[in-house]
Amino acid sequence: MIQISCPFCGKRDHSEFSYGGDGQINYPSLDASQETWHDAVFLRENIYGRQIETWQHLYGCRSWLLVERDTRTHEIFSVKLAHADWQKMMEENR
Amino acid sequence: MTAIRLPRQSSRDNQDETISFFWNNKKLKARKGDSISSALLSNKFQIIGRSFKYHRARGVTSAGVEEAGALVTTGKGAYTEPNVRASTTELSEGLFVYSQNAWPSVRFDIGSILNLFGRFFAAGFYYKTFMGKIFTGKIFRGIPPLEWGRGTGIWMFFEKFIRKAAGLGTASRLADPDSYEHLHTHTDILVIGSGPAGIQSAIQAAQTGKEVLLVEQDYAIGGTYLSWPDKSEFKTQISKLNKQNITILTRTTAFGLYDDTTIGLVEFICPEERAQKPLKPRQRFHICRAESVILATGALERNYAFVNNDLPGIMTVSSARTYLNRYQLLVGSNIVISTNNDSAYEAGLELEQAGATVTILESREQIGELLLQQISGRRINLYLGSAVAKANHGVFSPCVKQIVMARKTSDGWRQSGSLSCDCLLVSAGWSPVIHLASHQGCPIEWNKENACFISSGDDKSIFFAGSAAGIWQFEDCIQSAPQVARKTKKAQKQSSIIGGWHTDIEPLYEICVPAIKGKAFIDPQHDVTASDVRLAHQEGFISVEHLKRYTTLGMATDQGKMGNIIGLALMADALNRPISDVGVTRFRPPYTSISLGALAGAHRQSHFKPIRRTPFHNWSLANNGVMIDAGLWHRPWYYPKQGENLQDAYIREATITRRSLGICDVSSLGKIMIQGPDSTIFLNRIYTNPFAKLAVGKARYGIILREDGMVFDDGTTWRLSENSYLMTTTTNHAAAVMARLEELLQTRWPELRVHVTSITDQWAGCAIAGPNSRNLLSEIVDDPSEISNETLPFMGVKQVLLQTIPCYIARISFSGERAFEVYIPSDYSHAMMQFIWNKAQMFESCLYGLEALGTMRIEKGHVTGAEIDGRVTIEDIGLGKMASQNKDFVGSALRNREMLTSPNRPQLVGIFPKDKHKKFSAGALLNEAGKTKGHPLGWITAVTHSPALGHWIALGFIEGGLTAVEDKHIVLSDELRSIFLDVEIVSPHMYDPEGTRLHG
Ligand SMILES: [Zn+2]
Repeated sequence: MIQISCPFCGKRDHSEFSYGGDGQINYPSLDASQETWHDAVFLRENIYGRQIETWQHLYGCRSWLLVERDTRTHEIFSVKLAHADWQKMMEENR
Repeated sequence: MTAIRLPRQSSRDNQDETISFFWNNKKLKARKGDSISSALLSNKFQIIGRSFKYHRARGVTSAGVEEAGALVTTGKGAYTEPNVRASTTELSEGLFVYSQNAWPSVRFDIGSILNLFGRFFAAGFYYKTFMGKIFTGKIFRGIPPLEWGRGTGIWMFFEKFIRKAAGLGTASRLADPDSYEHLHTHTDILVIGSGPAGIQSAIQAAQTGKEVLLVEQDYAIGGTYLSWPDKSEFKTQISKLNKQNITILTRTTAFGLYDDTTIGLVEFICPEERAQKPLKPRQRFHICRAESVILATGALERNYAFVNNDLPGIMTVSSARTYLNRYQLLVGSNIVISTNNDSAYEAGLELEQAGATVTILESREQIGELLLQQISGRRINLYLGSAVAKANHGVFSPCVKQIVMARKTSDGWRQSGSLSCDCLLVSAGWSPVIHLASHQGCPIEWNKENACFISSGDDKSIFFAGSAAGIWQFEDCIQSAPQVARKTKKAQKQSSIIGGWHTDIEPLYEICVPAIKGKAFIDPQHDVTASDVRLAHQEGFISVEHLKRYTTLGMATDQGKMGNIIGLALMADALNRPISDVGVTRFRPPYTSISLGALAGAHRQSHFKPIRRTPFHNWSLANNGVMIDAGLWHRPWYYPKQGENLQDAYIREATITRRSLGICDVSSLGKIMIQGPDSTIFLNRIYTNPFAKLAVGKARYGIILREDGMVFDDGTTWRLSENSYLMTTTTNHAAAVMARLEELLQTRWPELRVHVTSITDQWAGCAIAGPNSRNLLSEIVDDPSEISNETLPFMGVKQVLLQTIPCYIARISFSGERAFEVYIPSDYSHAMMQFIWNKAQMFESCLYGLEALGTMRIEKGHVTGAEIDGRVTIEDIGLGKMASQNKDFVGSALRNREMLTSPNRPQLVGIFPKDKHKKFSAGALLNEAGKTKGHPLGWITAVTHSPALGHWIALGFIEGGLTAVEDKHIVLSDELRSIFLDVEIVSPHMYDPEGTRLHG
């Protein structure tokens, strides 16, 4: 029963969020080769420890977030907005 | 053993307050404050139930949650609750209590004949007998559980008889009439357990200004204090506790510890309170979040294995003390105590004081001076270096009557005489309750000095106090509280504060004496014996996890609270290794059993999931609509006329729609506004077909793929202006498509200036279909020239005024007829529908539901979720031409993988029965005639009776598609329904393949 601190909405139960996936995949451009796309979509690390993953605050502000979480302990170290410009604006206004 | 009720010591204790209850429908009296166990004991009932496998008589073995014998069923009818621990359940006025697993009665149980055949029912009996090779005609050997599949038919046959003979209570099959609540509870510090360490910890924590919640599973606060003869210390502590601002919840079990210091609590509402206020919930399930949790959960006293250690009249020493001091019940007059540690002596002295003759068998060769002084001059016989080898029952009673003693010699334990007794109390050490810390994976270590497993929490938010930390003496327990309080403030690192006995405990797990044979139980609830453990070892199940599953040790309702350690010790002994090497199985929640009702809370029946109603819902109901669940939605299924069933109605609805006019609620389709200067670029990337040149006022059907190249969703998207589009999605995928668009815009393409908004609920939609659809529209729009074939051609979109209300009309067709979808602001939906329906009366017209909609789409070969099931490519559903070769889109790279482009992939086809009178069902398989075994060629996804064609038709997939099977004899097989048909594979476009009906 982890809680995630949404940058917009504050600390909320994880049941308000939906898990996306690995947040550190560099998705290729649409015109990239089949091999490049294959590696991005199918070759995934199964990280034992800290990983950055995407979550959506589905039953809140609907922001996609980058959450740094330890897969062993579920401890959360940081939560950022996935949209880089929005995150920058948040930081500047802080 | 015959328990004797003593007078209350204090006159203030409502001495005369008696309550009545029913034991197997016989009315009995008890004292207020009694547990079921104490009430039954005071009424001289010693045999409470029969055991799981052997039907042996079982009585009260404890006064707490570790109870392994006294399981009862409470309540009647729908209120029946099986496997209730009599030891921890408070008696309430008029409570019905029943014995379990016995017929015709607990005293004379026919099933107990199984006891005589006990040696056949050793560990693995069921596996060996029913799964093994014995029934397959081969010699029995090997590891039976790994032979699943063999002989399972035999098991299926015998299972119902075995299940009837083995087992505990029977649950009611009626719906639970009680209600339950969920609460979110927040506190700084949660203290679990209200014994000396718990109360002191709560006081200390509250003094630092923290918010404190103290929970106690018992119906009375106090823990061990309640079992003391002298209550003065307890009263001092309670008054200190009450001075602090502490929330106290009794009857509340912390059953599980989860991530982020989240604790699952189940609170039972006091039966008396519920008797007065029947609408109160039966239980409350708290999801409790705390900064820190202090586990002052105490320790459970263990017994040890000796022959017949399960006889009624045998219980733990501490429970006898609890019955004496808490319930004023002297459990016997001639009591034998067998112990290996100092804790039993206090109880011995108090029982002697209360009038019993007490004999102590002490397994250690010597004990401390202090203890010797205490018992000198009292009616207490002490045998050093002694223990129990066997308990014997009476000739006419299954209760303990005599014990055979064992004496420690240089060659091990030897038989040394016997003693008569009416009660045997056992203490073979204490096991701290470390379950909650184990739930969270805190390290657990074997503590040799104290012969128990201990844990010191995680040093961050999980802390132990008192005997739960392996601290036995009262003063040491109290001292552990301030240390924990400092730790919760992170002011102090871990320091070990083990406070042991004056004289060390001597491990005692089993007494085995040559020439004495019989069952020595380690898990009396599941009838697991010491020899079962040795058998498991012999057969190679030496890991504790395997041992547990093979013998079912610790898998009964008590989860082996008392017996697990004996099992581990015996396995360690068999392996000739220390217990610390054998390890312990990880405890799992719940600590004690909790009702499913508490977990479900209010989420039951129609509250199980939210219901989505379309804006036309009430209008449809008023017009005789029958609703069907479609995901969360309730959608109109069909609109029966007098005497019509589903099939009559949908055939009529589809027929009238194709002949003249039908109206259908399509509000549940997902509707997403896509706005912003880059909207066109965005749509062009997510749809397989080009959107760059879609004109304003036009709609286009589009397909969205997943990144792996499989079809994700389909729908039409309407260009409303230069920079705004209305996207429609399937009902099922509306939420997923919305989340996906947001993901792409926020994580993948943040540079696109596009905003997406769900407007599904804001707009009601109805399809107006059939040759007369335009004629009806002409009657309702303010300016009929706006909707002519020229001004609103196929796939045209227009904003029009209906009764001065701006609405959208799109000329799109799912039915294959000339058709329009009219989108109306939800607030006007009811009035507008009534207006449209009134006008429709000028024509032959009908309302049609999901069933007729399905029929018409199957006739046309239009795909839905039944076909787009996540495993199909765009080519598989016959829409390959919609994948643009001139642009890149989501999924365009991976959809060209070798196996996804193979011409042999199953492709969408239509299916006709050769005999046009035959009916069949979705899910049936398609095969070539004569090759009906093994992997099929294809399958059926959707079936309907086609009014247009006059027979049953279907959509489905078949390898290679239509061209591959043109000259093959295909048969349909539905093994479950025993339907076997010759079929004809046809184009999926079974009705009006040229689409002439929707143009013009
Ligand atoms: Zn949020």
